[in-house]
Amino acid sequence: MGIEEAWLIPTYGFVAFGVIALFGRYLPLQGKHLSIIAIVAAFVTFWPVLFDFVSLGVGEHHVPRVWFSAGEFSVGSGMIIDPLTIVMLALVTFVASLVQIYSLGYMRHAHNGHVADDPRIGWYFAVHSLFTAAMLTLVLADNLLLLYLAWELVGLCSYLLIGFWWERKSAVNASKKAFITTRVGDVGLLIGILILVTETGTFDISTIIHHVTAGDVSDGKTTLAAFLIFLGAMGKSAQFPLHVWLPDAMEGPTPVSALIHAATMVTAGVFLVARLLPIYEVAESAQMFVAVIGIITALMGATLALVVTDLKRMLAYSTMSHLGFMMLTLGAGGYTAAAFHLLMHGLSKAMLFLSAGSIMHSMHDETDMNKMGGLRHRMPITGAAFTIGALSLSGIAPLAAFWSKDEMLVAIKDGLNPIFVVLFLVAVVLSALYMARATYLVFFGPLKSENRAVHESPLLMSLPLVVLAVLSVFAGFIVLPLGGDYEGIGRFLFHGEHGHDFEIQPLWTIVSIVLATGSFALGIWLYKSSRSTVDTIRVQFSGVHRILVNRYYMDTMYQWIVDRVVLALGRAVALFDRTVVNDRGVNGAGLTVLGAGKRLRGHVTGLFADYGLAMGAGVTAIALYVWLRGA
Amino acid sequence: MSLELVDFQILAAALFCLGLYGVLARRSAVMVLMAVELMLNAVNINLIAFSAFRPVSSMITGQVIVIFVITVAAAEVGLALAVIMRLYRRRGTVNVDEIDLMKG
Amino acid sequence: MGLVLFYILGGITIVAALGVVTTRNIVYGALFLLVSLMGVAGLFVVLFAEFLALVQLLIYGGAIIIVILFALMLTRETDFSIATEHRRWPVAAVVSLALFGLLASSAINDSSLYNSDRRSGIGIEELGTGLFENWAVPFEIASIVLLVALIGAIVIGRSGDEEDGGQA
Repeated sequence: MGIEEAWLIPTYGFVAFGVIALFGRYLPLQGKHLSIIAIVAAFVTFWPVLFDFVSLGVGEHHVPRVWFSAGEFSVGSGMIIDPLTIVMLALVTFVASLVQIYSLGYMRHAHNGHVADDPRIGWYFAVHSLFTAAMLTLVLADNLLLLYLAWELVGLCSYLLIGFWWERKSAVNASKKAFITTRVGDVGLLIGILILVTETGTFDISTIIHHVTAGDVSDGKTTLAAFLIFLGAMGKSAQFPLHVWLPDAMEGPTPVSALIHAATMVTAGVFLVARLLPIYEVAESAQMFVAVIGIITALMGATLALVVTDLKRMLAYSTMSHLGFMMLTLGAGGYTAAAFHLLMHGLSKAMLFLSAGSIMHSMHDETDMNKMGGLRHRMPITGAAFTIGALSLSGIAPLAAFWSKDEMLVAIKDGLNPIFVVLFLVAVVLSALYMARATYLVFFGPLKSENRAVHESPLLMSLPLVVLAVLSVFAGFIVLPLGGDYEGIGRFLFHGEHGHDFEIQPLWTIVSIVLATGSFALGIWLYKSSRSTVDTIRVQFSGVHRILVNRYYMDTMYQWIVDRVVLALGRAVALFDRTVVNDRGVNGAGLTVLGAGKRLRGHVTGLFADYGLAMGAGVTAIALYVWLRGA
Repeated sequence: MSLELVDFQILAAALFCLGLYGVLARRSAVMVLMAVELMLNAVNINLIAFSAFRPVSSMITGQVIVIFVITVAAAEVGLALAVIMRLYRRRGTVNVDEIDLMKG
Repeated sequence: MGLVLFYILGGITIVAALGVVTTRNIVYGALFLLVSLMGVAGLFVVLFAEFLALVQLLIYGGAIIIVILFALMLTRETDFSIATEHRRWPVAAVVSLALFGLLASSAINDSSLYNSDRRSGIGIEELGTGLFENWAVPFEIASIVLLVALIGAIVIGRSGDEEDGGQA
């Protein structure tokens, strides 16, 4: 069992989906355990693949397979196994396993006094399995067609899961919004892919990269393709301006948010850009665009997270902000740092979401942070986990995300203009601030009287929290050379000629530690001791506050565009279709025939004389003609 | 100048065309019938003329055919008038302009 | 001699025929028809077909005209003063003239093909023999045609049942 069999990893999920979707009615418990088995099997299968990979040497391994071919052109369905793939496989299988186990506990609601599974739990797990299968396929795919297929499938699962409780109108709207917004990006992705394919004649990723870096494709086309592909990444990874769907996606069940909208699906965009990074390095303007969008998104997400009162939405904006960081880093050429942060953020953010779910589960789906407070007294495990996660993502040493943030800082300063560094640090400060705010509002301070009945979650839910908490503390150390063949993340996960060794750059490290810790402390202090300052700030900057609360008016703008532009265009087209195509063309043709028929019928008068005349005239004419010709 | 076949041919043609005009232009069914008789007679003239001016053994054919033509013409007139009578009883008119059941 | 007769009789026939197709009074039309057919009979004589001339006189003059006159009497219309021509009569005139022109021209054109000034007739015995020998089958069929017409005329002309036949 080795990398040759890596295709098994997604297959378990597809099989589970098929079985549960088709036969769930007849299975015990609607077949939810089948899904758990599938994902755990995937996780288990990952390890032999990892070992085989390590033994073969760190690098890029291909397991090609032909899917279909037409003459000279063939499309594959093989796999690429390289460090990036390994990292993604690990993240997806691990977090998905934890989330599904967590879901077993979360998706039980109180009905009439006793607790029972959600009525459609089978479907929930089926789509979960499908999602993980699709995501794993996306990560393993060695050609753009398969990748695009998996990409779309992942989007579909997101739509299905966001709208899982379709009895709620808001959920239905949110799922539609998510799908449509990402669809806009997907169009760009498709066109970009097609440009590359027509230029290089193949869908195979490595071949395409090879051609592009060798200069076989013109600069203009490469840049265009890179832009368009990034458009798809913008949609999936909620970059500005296609970010509007992510906060609304919180309508879905919280485990879904944890898995899809923190750790896996939204990272697909980052993964794609990382996978195709050589192309972006050739198309420099596209890469700069990536960086600019990244920092804008990061700042936007951070500012928005600072004013929301809904816990899950805060986490959504935080995710958006961190994805912006990753894109910014990729824009700077920091392949290693971006992927590393993807991993760390995924672990910590998933845990934060699961904690939020914990709270919601025992507070009857309450998400308003102002209604919480002091919950650590009642939910110690959740409280500890959340705090660890918050600290980690704020960049407090020596937790996981601190290391990755540090790496990102180094990459940005090395690769981009100093202005980006400054803005990055501003965003770091903001992220610490909003994390501190949230942590304090929810878990610290006085416990409200109405929340006295709040209790800790059952084991099925707390256990994944604990596991992730532990990892959030220690996972960051993989950046260091840990002995044996492993020489640090920089030597494992790199692209280009060679990786880099881990080194501490004292000045920058100190700057980041000071900024992060200071900001976090400031946040705690503001909300703990000096609430009035917070209120004063809100009043002073009320204009800014209002803009933020209205999400920079982006939703209003999009709605306007849809109403005025899209629907108006649609109405015009419909009008054209009705009057020109239908009335003139289709009906018109029929009516013309009818009219002609009516008119032609006129000569069938039924009168003998008319017929006789016609015949006589005809015969005479023919005779004349014959006679003239003959004579 | 003596009588030639072509003279009879022209005469027959004239008679035939007069009859044709009558068939096509007259309104009363009986008038149409009479014009048809004219046409038939024109044909008869032609046949007899050919039979007379062509001294061959098949001379007899022309006259025999004319006998049959006259016979059939007589039969046809009888039937046609019966139909016209029937029509008159039904419609009160023999005006061909008003007999347009096959219209449309 | 023959030529003179031809022109006289031919003239009578044509003029009478003209009268048939142009007169407003339908009874005059029937009488004109009688005259025209008599002219034809005369022409038959000129062509040495005496027997047929007699047949023509007997049948047309004797039977057919009588029948037509009877029919005219029985189908009198009160408003016969209205034009007896169909509204498209100019077209009919043109067509007839054109056809006449065609036929006449082609006849004149081909007239050189046969020597055509000696005419002769057939004796009555010859006619009779030929009729009953070579032409016996058509002769019998003609008899049947007459029978059918007779029966048919009686059936159709019956004034008994009026309810059959769909009138729109």
